Amino acid sequence: MRRSLRARMVRALAVAGLITALVLPAASPASGQVADDLILRVGTDQEFSGLNPWQSIYVLDYEVFTLNYDLLVGYDENLGFTEGFATSWETSDDGKTTTFKIRPDMQWSDGQPATAEDARYTYQLVLDAIAAEVTLGSGYIDGYLSSANLSAVSAPDPETLVVETSTPTSLLLPAYVPILPKHVWESHTLEQIANAEADDFFPNDPPVVGTGPYTAVEFQAGQFMRFARNPNYWGEQGAAEEVIIQHFESNETMVQALRNGEIDYARGIGADAFDALEGQEDIVTVEGFANGYSYLTFNGYSKPIEGGGASTTALADPAFRDAMGWAVDLPLLVDRVLAGHGTPGTSLIPPFHSNWYVPPAADVQRSFNLQTADEKLVAAGYVKDASGQRLDKEGEPIALRMTWPASESELATVAQFITEWWGELGIPVEAGVTEDDTLLVDLAPPEYDPPGKADFDVYMWGWVGDVDPTSLLQPFTTDEIGGSSDTFYSNPRFDELFTLQGQTTDEAERKAMLQEMQEIFYRDLPNIPLYYDSELHAYRTDRFGGWQSQPPDTGTPLFGFGPIGYTKLTVAGSTPSEAPSAGAASPGVTAAPSAAPGGSETPTADNTTLILGVGALILVLLAGGLVLMRRRGAETEEE
Amino acid sequence: MASRYLWRRVGQAVTTILMIVLVNFLLFRAMPGSPDRILARNPNVSPAAIEQTRARWGIDKPLVPDQLVAYLAATIQGDLGLSFASRGEPVTEVIAGRLGPTLLLFGLGEVIAIFVGLGLGAYAGWRRGGPVDLVGNGVSLVLYSMPYFLLGMILLLIFASTLHWFPSFGMTTPGKTYDSVFEYLADLGAHLVLPVATVALGLIGQYSILMRSSILETLGDDYITTARAKGIRSGRILRSHAVPNALLPAVSLIAINLGYVVAGAITVEVVFNWPGLGTLTVEALAARDYPVLQGVFLVLSISVVLANLLADMIYGRLDPRVRA
Repeated sequence: MRRSLRARMVRALAVAGLITALVLPAASPASGQVADDLILRVGTDQEFSGLNPWQSIYVLDYEVFTLNYDLLVGYDENLGFTEGFATSWETSDDGKTTTFKIRPDMQWSDGQPATAEDARYTYQLVLDAIAAEVTLGSGYIDGYLSSANLSAVSAPDPETLVVETSTPTSLLLPAYVPILPKHVWESHTLEQIANAEADDFFPNDPPVVGTGPYTAVEFQAGQFMRFARNPNYWGEQGAAEEVIIQHFESNETMVQALRNGEIDYARGIGADAFDALEGQEDIVTVEGFANGYSYLTFNGYSKPIEGGGASTTALADPAFRDAMGWAVDLPLLVDRVLAGHGTPGTSLIPPFHSNWYVPPAADVQRSFNLQTADEKLVAAGYVKDASGQRLDKEGEPIALRMTWPASESELATVAQFITEWWGELGIPVEAGVTEDDTLLVDLAPPEYDPPGKADFDVYMWGWVGDVDPTSLLQPFTTDEIGGSSDTFYSNPRFDELFTLQGQTTDEAERKAMLQEMQEIFYRDLPNIPLYYDSELHAYRTDRFGGWQSQPPDTGTPLFGFGPIGYTKLTVAGSTPSEAPSAGAASPGVTAAPSAAPGGSETPTADNTTLILGVGALILVLLAGGLVLMRRRGAETEEE
Repeated sequence: MASRYLWRRVGQAVTTILMIVLVNFLLFRAMPGSPDRILARNPNVSPAAIEQTRARWGIDKPLVPDQLVAYLAATIQGDLGLSFASRGEPVTEVIAGRLGPTLLLFGLGEVIAIFVGLGLGAYAGWRRGGPVDLVGNGVSLVLYSMPYFLLGMILLLIFASTLHWFPSFGMTTPGKTYDSVFEYLADLGAHLVLPVATVALGLIGQYSILMRSSILETLGDDYITTARAKGIRSGRILRSHAVPNALLPAVSLIAINLGYVVAGAITVEVVFNWPGLGTLTVEALAARDYPVLQGVFLVLSISVVLANLLADMIYGRLDPRVRA
């Protein structure tokens, strides 16, 4: 039984055709032609949550919606307030009514007028959600306005927006809420907007209509999002005609893509790769302060929990925690775990918040000293027995379980160090990783819904803040036990200060309150802030210039607050003095000497011959194989 | 005649797939955590909202029988549910969108590896101890023992970030506009080179080592001696007598390998950010996207079963003794 060569060829072609058909739809040609050099390509290892801003969870999601939309009040390069959707604002004497002036003659990217009515619609959406007792999407965005005690909003004319809050508040202006176009969103119900799993959920698929500098025109889930310049943008226009944010599954591949000139910017680079990038041609590395920290939490739940809870009452004792704080060498952790790219932890407010961060006073600051730790433990009533084992006040030996989520692999190294240090104090530590979701279940206290057992002793993880420090303080309030609190810390004075600081509109007064809160936190030590891990970013200078960090000396050019980093970009070489001076001005920035640019272009175009060659080779191999098989068949018959 | 053998194999395959469906269900329910947990860390989300999410996904109902019955009924109808992470997109669509790139990458890699690997192995075995054997066998061993991600990373470092010959990630240049289909194909081709080379090199090592030993075994057989005695040219003995018989073990290896195409995809695709099933699996794992993971595992296991069935069938064609 033989088949002719032609039949074989036909089958091979059919298979090839099938594969091509599977692949080709991806090649839908884009609208307008944009020169490759004017596309800004940004790499990140975070996942997209989509284009409906209420669904935002990650830093990347925030970046996406601040490109598409304006906040009512924007942020300038020093993180001060600047005009956004509104151009000016005024708060009444009682601090409860704020009147915003909306930019006249502003247009959405589709040409429709953008007015105070759009802002009113957006804020009313949050009020509707509060009234309906639902959260909008992931609950982070609407949370800004509910924390500010938003009570009413109105738009008496197209250029005036009046926002009322039930208490005086400092949280309204920094509310990180994108103003959405009413004419696009109003046809969808609250459920369709808020609930990603609802029937007819509104995903806000591209092209997105916004007032931001770039609006999304293409989204390939899990891969990239492409933004085109908004022709109607009211502010300064950046040099990039298009912006593409590319997701990378592997951090290492992202770094290679940056080196290969395929992306212009990379966020979230590993410490080793970051050090290796320093000094590379046309690449500048930026080490920015993180607005967040990694911590070690003590299970401070004050009552016994049946079948769960901490293994010793010592953890709920601030004096015990204070002593343990002396037995953690924070600078060494920064050095060994982060390769030096971070700052030892002190406060629950990271130094990123230069306005609010208060370092501990010299006379209370802890350092690494096992001797002191031992003395403090003894003074607090935790003595060793004859075998050297530390006992709690009930006379039971203290042995701690320590864990961390699987997603934070570097914490395994931290655990090794701490196990050793605490072991020297006669406190054995049994350390082991826990899968993220299981850990969340283990952490839940009886107050949680569904009720948990707070079944842990100490655990490590991280927490990230906003421009306003409120969300960093909130987890330590008594009300949050059963909510975001994992320390189960409760201090009436801390709670009182938390409420007051949200209501004062006097910055100096608020700072004094925040200072006292930080002092209480440092004294009671509900958790040990281990370190503020730096934001490690890098960018190329051969296509775009004008990179500017926000804020200049501690921030990063992109993934900051608002789209300012994108709008300041220039075409490389157009302002030659720009790049070096930016580097000199920022101590966190190490500028690589850039030689003749253009030496490393994306290779796609000039490789055509090579590709054709490889293609030809495959064809020859295929044909050769077929001929061989045919000859074999022929010979078999001969013999 | 041949049909009894065939039907028995098909029956086995169907039973296996049913078992897989069941195990798949239990396995994913036994895993810790659920998607509402990502909401749980957000202080602004009310418990009521979390409860609502659980109800929406049906994870508030008892595992057996409610969840199991619903799952079996839906799976048989080809409904794999909605993706948690992709905002309610059907799992079948999510997987279908990623299947093409994976098939392209591994299809090409397999074809190249089959011809080069088997050819190299056959020649090396035939000319045992010769230069091709010495070099080929050494290189094959190195390639065979090297994990895909390491091989891929080496190629990436050399040919993308140092020599700048090829792009380092993706299937095409994102956002690029093409004037013609050929320009698109050239872009696709450039992106294909490194990942396909990784897949092919890894498989070449494996195939050539197997083919070499297989050829060596046949060389001692009587029919080869007979052929030599008949005075048939050496090359023809190799092609017409040794290779067809030596191909038998290779065929089953290759067919089984086809089934693991998707599984093997994970590391190669992650290294090259290739938008296929491998990266989808990693994404779904990170997002605890149960329905997508379940779907991927189903596709994976079914492709292994089908590939085995295919191997049995080809085996039957190549070696009539098996059919008896």
